[in-house]
Amino acid sequence: MIKNQKAKLERQYATLGMMLIAPTVLVFCAVIVYPLVSAIYLSLFDIYTPTLQGEWVGLDNYRELLGKGEFWTSLRNNIIWTVGTLSLQILFGIGMALVLHQNIWFRSLARSLILFPYFVSTVVAVLVWRWLFNDLYGILNHLMMAAGLIDMPIDYLGSMPNAMISVILVGAWKYFPFVVIAVLARLQTIPDALYEAARIDGAGPVARFFDITLPQLRDVLVVIIMLRAIWDFKEFDLIFLLTGGGPVTSTQTLPLLVYKEAFSLNHMGMAAAYAVTMMAVMLVFMIVYIRKTREKEA
Amino acid sequence: MIRRVLFNLMAWTIVLAVAFPLFWMVVTSLKPQSELFRRPPTILPETLTFEHYWQLLVETNFLTYFQNSVVLSVATTVVVVSIATLGAYSIVRFKYWGRESLAFLVLFTYLLPSVVLIIPLYLMLVGLGLSNTILSLVIAYTTFALPYALWLLRSFMAGIPEDLESAALVDGASRMGAFRDVILPQLLPGIISTALFTFILSWNEYLYALVLVNSDNTRPLTTGVMNMLISSFNVEWSLLMAASVMMSVPLIIVFAFLQSYLTRGFGAGGVKG
Repeated sequence: MIKNQKAKLERQYATLGMMLIAPTVLVFCAVIVYPLVSAIYLSLFDIYTPTLQGEWVGLDNYRELLGKGEFWTSLRNNIIWTVGTLSLQILFGIGMALVLHQNIWFRSLARSLILFPYFVSTVVAVLVWRWLFNDLYGILNHLMMAAGLIDMPIDYLGSMPNAMISVILVGAWKYFPFVVIAVLARLQTIPDALYEAARIDGAGPVARFFDITLPQLRDVLVVIIMLRAIWDFKEFDLIFLLTGGGPVTSTQTLPLLVYKEAFSLNHMGMAAAYAVTMMAVMLVFMIVYIRKTREKEA
Repeated sequence: MIRRVLFNLMAWTIVLAVAFPLFWMVVTSLKPQSELFRRPPTILPETLTFEHYWQLLVETNFLTYFQNSVVLSVATTVVVVSIATLGAYSIVRFKYWGRESLAFLVLFTYLLPSVVLIIPLYLMLVGLGLSNTILSLVIAYTTFALPYALWLLRSFMAGIPEDLESAALVDGASRMGAFRDVILPQLLPGIISTALFTFILSWNEYLYALVLVNSDNTRPLTTGVMNMLISSFNVEWSLLMAASVMMSVPLIIVFAFLQSYLTRGFGAGGVKG
């Protein structure tokens, strides 16, 4: 009798649980699952954006994109950008976290100042950097000339490899605070006893970093690197607003190529094919990240 | 002692270098036009002026953009956080078929690039006759805000001890009664920080706004301010810097007053970027 009641209650709870999740599932299906499936479907068509008319071409879009040089140069740019900006973020992020972990003056103010680039809108960040980079009145050229580093103003965004370097640097500036905060949170949980024991054994600061801090950070670093790699790989706003992919196509990454195909060249189907291919590349990282996160929770 | 001072000086030099672009933004916005083009540039302005802020409010569409951004971000936040709170409660505390795969889907879409969804979403919203409306942006923004909010709230929810709820149930409360009286007050800090992050995400979004909206009446700040740069043949950097400062004011307010909630949210699930 009691068993029966319990089973009944559990059934009731299951129904209630499903009712609570229903709005989420509905929205998910409408704005994520349906578009995701139709992106794959659309990539099999040749569609002209203004009229949205098109015909079935099967895998032709994919055949065409793999044969096109533009796909491969964009992929290459995408990898250069991701690897470049990510390594700077990680290196600078860990370094800054170690500094902010120490007892420096006005520590919370310093943390807020470091954090701000991350929360400021990409549009704002780009406008400010374009003003700093300005060839005639930009402070950056002025300071470098005053310091005797350069004789002539540098064209930061209009020539190669300057444009790629600039984009990578601005990306690192904008996103390294994420690494700082995540690493800082982990640093605070490393027991002091470990450091004391190492000190007694005569380990210097460098040895302590490599023998204790780094191994302790390992797990969290893997998760951060995966997450940032995914986010940097799909970055659109920052590159689009800074260089628009230029000069010509030298900083054009895959997300920019998708946008260009769809809304400037009006090839919806082709753009969808680029997007799907890009996601296939990212899928490897996404799966590793999902696995790592689950491991951590289990 | 000397080592400590040196270390502090070094640390603060780096911090100030990182913050310099933001400092320069504020300084530029306060300089009169004549001083802006002086060489060498003045680090601190000789004369302070608020003319650019005034010009921004009176002569441009800035206020319309600002209002659009507020409506858009608040609407997205309210819709997403209310759906996600119920959803997170369900995912964490109930057992039913498909729950695991749903949690997996949430995590997967948390990582999904917008450019994959943007083409079909554009077609869908045009088909519904919603293009060029703020509503279309609210719909589009749920694609990244909802998985994110669910992901964040899920970890906050998991941190609330189940015993509290069981106690209320034993005392005769209904499941939803217990949710309202026991869970919701406990979850409130989590809800606040999720709401703040959702607001910041929506406030800063650019790509969907660029694709889905192209009239000045519905444009939010991100595309609106960028448009001022492109459309004016004579770029006025002071004006743009003033716009950037004003655009960041809501974030500064959030920062100053609600920092503890922000840190909590960061610890719970990271911030999307």
